[in-house]
Amino acid sequence: MQQLKYFFISSCKKASSLIDKKSVMKLTLHEKLMLHIHLSVCDACTEYQKQSRILHDLLQAHLKNTNPDQVTQVVNNELKTKIFTRLSEEK
Amino acid sequence: MNIDKPDEVTTCWVQLYSDGLYSWALHKTSNKETAEDLVQETFLVAVKSAEQFRGDSNPKTWLFSILNNKINDHFRKSYRNPVISDDAIIDLIFDETEHWKESQKPQPWLTEQSNLFDDAEFQAEWQKCLQRLPAHWNAAVQLKFIDEKKSEEVCQELAITDTNFWQILHRAKLQLRKCLELNWFKK
Repeated sequence: MQQLKYFFISSCKKASSLIDKKSVMKLTLHEKLMLHIHLSVCDACTEYQKQSRILHDLLQAHLKNTNPDQVTQVVNNELKTKIFTRLSEEK
Repeated sequence: MNIDKPDEVTTCWVQLYSDGLYSWALHKTSNKETAEDLVQETFLVAVKSAEQFRGDSNPKTWLFSILNNKINDHFRKSYRNPVISDDAIIDLIFDETEHWKESQKPQPWLTEQSNLFDDAEFQAEWQKCLQRLPAHWNAAVQLKFIDEKKSEEVCQELAITDTNFWQILHRAKLQLRKCLELNWFKK
């Protein structure tokens, strides 16, 4: 009975890692079941699942931006001086 | 070339494009020093291979393609550095019984998600949080999302196992969440 319990009930540490695993790869049937049962009784992990999705979307939006003109433009005049110094050293 | 100063064309390119190149490198790497180094190297390569540059293509496009190669090399290199199993973040969040520590329990984020993308203040905090991720985590996350690669391909490229890869993502997310909670959601 104890063994059966451990087969189905996972800890929050395990459940939260399964939530993030699910975002990149398929879970095994056993993992799916464990996560499903855990989430049905755990508010904290249910909340983490929502937050994990938001983080995923934020990362995607940040990293999928492939247009250099759309990122925040930063003026760096110190760098220009550094480049000129490096270039004249290399000559 | 026997001149001490960079020639006029190079000077002009630095003036015109270095800010744009730097902004892009900073967006990608989330690290000022790294971004500066990559842009400097880009110009060194550009000057050395100036003959290869065909006058008919756009210098901006050419410089960005050099920079993008440098950025990808940088991610691969920073990933290859030995990965220290870093469980500090896990121990910070979960107790010995593997439950959330009371102070770390996820609480609802009281913000509309859609607002976050356009909120400049939030984006600034988000950038700072990304900058605090360890370089090899950042590399794994970047390579996964940039090229929309399937995780198996990223793993092959970085020579890490699938398990290692999603565990890195998991730790990165836990750390980002903690950082945002401290600096944004609990304000």
